[in-house]
Amino acid sequence: MLNAAVTDLMTDTTALAAAETDNGLVRAAVGGDMRAFEAIYRRHVGRIHGVIQRLVGGQGVRADDLTQEAFVRAWQALPQFRFESAFSTWLHRLAVNTALMELRSRRSQPLFDENEDRLDDLGMADSAGHHTALSLDLERAVATLPPRARAVLVLYDVEGWKHEEIAGELGMAVGSSKAQLHRARQLLRERLGVEA
Amino acid sequence: MSEENDRLRWQLKGLRQDTPPRRDLWPEIAARIAELPQTAEIAPGQQDRPSRGFPWSRAASRGADASSVRTGARRLAPWAMAASMLLAIGFLWQATHLTPPQEPLIRQEAAQLTRDYQGALAQIQGAEAHPELGGALQELDRSAEEILAALDRAPNTRFLLEQLRRTYAKRLALTQRAMMS
Repeated sequence: MLNAAVTDLMTDTTALAAAETDNGLVRAAVGGDMRAFEAIYRRHVGRIHGVIQRLVGGQGVRADDLTQEAFVRAWQALPQFRFESAFSTWLHRLAVNTALMELRSRRSQPLFDENEDRLDDLGMADSAGHHTALSLDLERAVATLPPRARAVLVLYDVEGWKHEEIAGELGMAVGSSKAQLHRARQLLRERLGVEA
Repeated sequence: MSEENDRLRWQLKGLRQDTPPRRDLWPEIAARIAELPQTAEIAPGQQDRPSRGFPWSRAASRGADASSVRTGARRLAPWAMAASMLLAIGFLWQATHLTPPQEPLIRQEAAQLTRDYQGALAQIQGAEAHPELGGALQELDRSAEEILAALDRAPNTRFLLEQLRRTYAKRLALTQRAMMS
């Protein structure tokens, strides 16, 4: 019990110190200090690239491009950061926004969703060639979901967003977000061989 | 069933991990920042969060609507500017052998890509009349036009260039398929 309380306190202290460090770097970067912005990049790039990669389905070059785009946008938007929320949360949301914007723009390509949805019909083989639930990599299965369904699943089940937030970011109704989540989970269960 | 679902959701939560890119993206980010306009245009009353929806398109059309501009472009400290410019110059030299600075690099690449694409397409004309694929070809053409228009509004956006490249590649592949069938 006491150990848990001490651990929580240490976690809080660490998070507070990280937030203070971020805030100092943000102030310096707003003043034009590129070294400070590079430090921000180094501190957050893993997390930002991670969420972008999950949203776009783990495609290396595309995730790299969007990560770059997110940090350039962050540099541009930094003067508007008011220190009223955690910088890491602000940056994370900006990165999600960047990835979703790209996702939305790809919907204008007529063959995109069609091709993606065709993956629904494909069996997913693991590296050993077995179509088994146990050996199928979850991350890879998520990556093969249709783009919008994947985005909703990642934001809800992985990132812990609410449907209202997801609907706002994706420009869809809350009901559509719920429907996409249902579809995504169902597809995922099928691909993993889990009975629904 | 419920137990399986719960397990799946726990496993999904476990995917929330940091995954750094395989290469250092910083030099390219620094180069792109150095290319940005160096004037302060900070709109008043901005909220403490990236805006909802897709504000980037507004940022890309800076100057069009001062109340919604969110460029945040600002003057770099002189030493930082010098360092950034050095990085940018090195990067641009590698990429373009010093192309003229008046047009953003990515927009130039897009223009070159379009010229190459049109040259390739000119070799295989006639597919537009294909009964089944003609409509898809027209849609791809419209997509390419939309992407080029977006690049005009936001000429430094690399993923639009990549999207244009993919669209042209699809168009050429589909054209070839139409010609062969």
